[in-house]
Amino acid sequence: MKYSLGLMLVIVVVGAIIGMYLPWYAMGISAAIIAYVLGMKTKGSFVIGFAAGFILWVLAAYYTALGHPSTLPSRMASLLPLKGQVSLLYVVTGIIGGLTTGLWVWAGARLRQK
Amino acid sequence: MNLVKKVFPLLITLCVTYVLSNSWGTIPPFGKFLSPFHGFWVNAEAPETGEPTDENLQIPGLQKPVKVVYDEMGIPHIFAENDHDLYLAQGYLTAKDRLWQMEFQTHFAGGRISEIVGDKGLASDQFQRRMGSVYGAEQSFEGMKADPQAKVALEAYSDGVNAYINSLDERNLPLEYKLLNYSPEPWSPIKSALFLKNMSFVLASGTDDLKMTNVLRQYGREVAEDLFPNYPFEESPIIPSGSPIDFKPVPIPASPKDFMGLGSAMKTPEKDPNIGSNNWAVSGNKTVSGMPILANDPHLTLSLPSIWYQVQLVAPGVNVYGSTMPGTPNVITGFNKDIAWGVTNVGSDVLDWYQVKFKDASKLEYWHGGQWKKTKLRIETFKIKGKKDFVDTVFFTHHGPVVYLSHEKAFKSNIPVGHALRWIAHEKSQELTTFYKLNRAKNYADYTEALTYYSAPAQNFVFASNEGDIALWVNGKFPLKSKLQGKYLMDGTDPAADWQGFIPQAHNPHVKNPVRGFVSSANQFSTDPAYPYYLGWQYAPSERGRRINERLTAMSKITIDSLRGLQNDNYNIRARKLLPLLLAQVDSKDKALDELKRWNLQNSAESVGATIFETWVLTLQSFLWDDEFDSDEKVPMNRPAMDRTIHLVEHEGAARWWDNVKTKNKKETMRDIISGSFQAALDTLKKHHGPLGAEWAWHKQKETGVRHLIPGMDALSRLHIPVGGGGSIVNATTTRTGPSWRFIVELSKKGTPKGFGIYPGGQSGNPGSAHYDDLIDTWAKGELKPLLYLDQPTQSSNRIRKKLTLSVQ
Repeated sequence: MKYSLGLMLVIVVVGAIIGMYLPWYAMGISAAIIAYVLGMKTKGSFVIGFAAGFILWVLAAYYTALGHPSTLPSRMASLLPLKGQVSLLYVVTGIIGGLTTGLWVWAGARLRQK
Repeated sequence: MNLVKKVFPLLITLCVTYVLSNSWGTIPPFGKFLSPFHGFWVNAEAPETGEPTDENLQIPGLQKPVKVVYDEMGIPHIFAENDHDLYLAQGYLTAKDRLWQMEFQTHFAGGRISEIVGDKGLASDQFQRRMGSVYGAEQSFEGMKADPQAKVALEAYSDGVNAYINSLDERNLPLEYKLLNYSPEPWSPIKSALFLKNMSFVLASGTDDLKMTNVLRQYGREVAEDLFPNYPFEESPIIPSGSPIDFKPVPIPASPKDFMGLGSAMKTPEKDPNIGSNNWAVSGNKTVSGMPILANDPHLTLSLPSIWYQVQLVAPGVNVYGSTMPGTPNVITGFNKDIAWGVTNVGSDVLDWYQVKFKDASKLEYWHGGQWKKTKLRIETFKIKGKKDFVDTVFFTHHGPVVYLSHEKAFKSNIPVGHALRWIAHEKSQELTTFYKLNRAKNYADYTEALTYYSAPAQNFVFASNEGDIALWVNGKFPLKSKLQGKYLMDGTDPAADWQGFIPQAHNPHVKNPVRGFVSSANQFSTDPAYPYYLGWQYAPSERGRRINERLTAMSKITIDSLRGLQNDNYNIRARKLLPLLLAQVDSKDKALDELKRWNLQNSAESVGATIFETWVLTLQSFLWDDEFDSDEKVPMNRPAMDRTIHLVEHEGAARWWDNVKTKNKKETMRDIISGSFQAALDTLKKHHGPLGAEWAWHKQKETGVRHLIPGMDALSRLHIPVGGGGSIVNATTTRTGPSWRFIVELSKKGTPKGFGIYPGGQSGNPGSAHYDDLIDTWAKGELKPLLYLDQPTQSSNRIRKKLTLSVQ
């Protein structure tokens, strides 16, 4: 459990740094590299990656929105369309972040597997 | 473990990542778009609060530092040390707020929307280019470059826009690029020309010639001329009747022979007829202050980001405030210390069609003046997102492009196939020089000199100066025509039907300091029939013009606020005349009739009477004319104007037109049609809004909205705005069009001019900014904001929110 939480934390921190400087998919690739280098087990790897990606994307989105209060999230929640529900917009953002990170962690873990 | 099993997850992951990185149809690239580090989240801007902040930006290309002060509306006040830096900063700062809009609108104008949206944009793109939009922009660009000052402005502006584009990366692209998944391309001066040419498309591309020829073919010349008269029954022309003519007219060309033409075209939806504008200036002897006051409100399609971008431009020799069009340098309408000017559109006929006779299917030669002449070919290449390029050949006669060949389907119902287009927008022109000079004009002489450079779209330039002058020039390049030339489709083989030169600019209709103490325009007839030249047979309906002139005649002790009241005037002058005539023909026990009889003739937001009247009038027009003029969708015809209908109701109760020719064995009377249309209007209203009551409020029927430029983008639009007005009302707010920039300026002898203004939007084009739509509520209330006119960047004001220094890199 502790190991999983530690992995998640590494993926989140590295992802945040990578996210600020490189294209969006680089966050996923970095997570794959972490999984590969640390030799993560394939089993459970997707879940760990998903959780890390979900947390990273939701926290980062929330932090940005907090620092820059605007009607943009609610406009986007109408556009996507999520009936203007900003909370759902965070969930969808988290799912996309979780899905990509989860997949990349899974791919990285499987590549290392003997 | 085998290799396939090992890399299988990687392959899936790559596929998913690819899918999330790209847009699919209208679906944005979800991964990129939702990423909190790259996507829309990054576009949120915090509103500025508290103490003004200081920022410094390095801009390549500047010669000296430029000081910029932003006020509480986000309007930049730019102080530069020379013209070059002034326009470079204007380009940079406009792009900073409006880049996506600037590029999208010029892409639209240049027929390049399919590069963004794929082949569903192709028909519109092809139409733009076949109409010669790019050809016209190239022509006018040549003209602009001929003036060294305009050239500096144009090129510096372009450098400024590019400096901003080059400062962008994937993260800080404007929202719409992220949504549609593309990136800006470099700006170039010709894009400014494309933008200006597009104004001719918006304002001077209306054409009824085909529909008039269809009427002519169906009913003959006598009926066509009777139902579509060449001057309205009720009018109050822009140049007051009896104004002196201070020039000796040149001879008018002989009329070409009558020509019937082939007519006809396919029917498709058309553009909104409600685009028009109001402007006026009152002389000092009618105002409280003793100084002239000028007011203007151009009516355009209401859109977000806003059509206009406010700015103050200050450099040696210029200190001007006003509205600019994102994409072009200079202020378009506004004021400086000495003068103020505004514009409304002139509805003159500057677009004609010539039926072409090609020699053979190759279309390389056409018949004109008794000989075969060679067509010119222009190749247009369309890049289409996700598809191969499409190459199109456009055939030009000496008139202009053959917009659609006779076997093709026109993009709009009013565009004839098999005809060449002669259009003022294809002429070489120097509009930028006009605005450059107006920005710096000090008096009436400077203003008239500036106007000599202007071609299209023709505008009523209203003017006031602190020397006490007021004036109005109906200005543009007008073809010198024989009477009614171009009312119908013309014969492309007959040289007598060609345009025979232009009316000398000094002979354009104009008036200075008229006895009545004011000048005004609202798109109505430029002059009465005494004017020696023919400009066109059809202008916007006269109601707004008549109401404004009626009010300005009656008003005295005028103030900025009383003119603000006039801009918001909701009085229905059409109903004043028509309603009693209609009510005399109706017996009904419906309570709606009592409501209508009680109506105060104001098209106010909550008015129920306005809803009933406006719906009834529309239904009546349809009941009266559609049986004869809208019976075959392959033969679109013009419908007689409201002015003609009113005359029919008042004087021609037994006219043949009252009978509905579609009902056999029955002859309807005027009474049948008027009371029938009343009942039908009520039925429609009940169906939409339930029983008579507050739900019938005019604003709920009219549903004014300010919509984002991307169709259907409701989340970025402001809909259901509770405002009154209407198409024939001074407050000309309709469902999709309205006053796009209301402003009023009182000039001052020595001090600072007092300017007030508002537009339905905001300075920023970013939906994540508080300035995206923060002016809409003030606009909807009919209020104006005081405009901050500064002399120095160091001047203190509690309205300053941000200071920016653009420094040399």
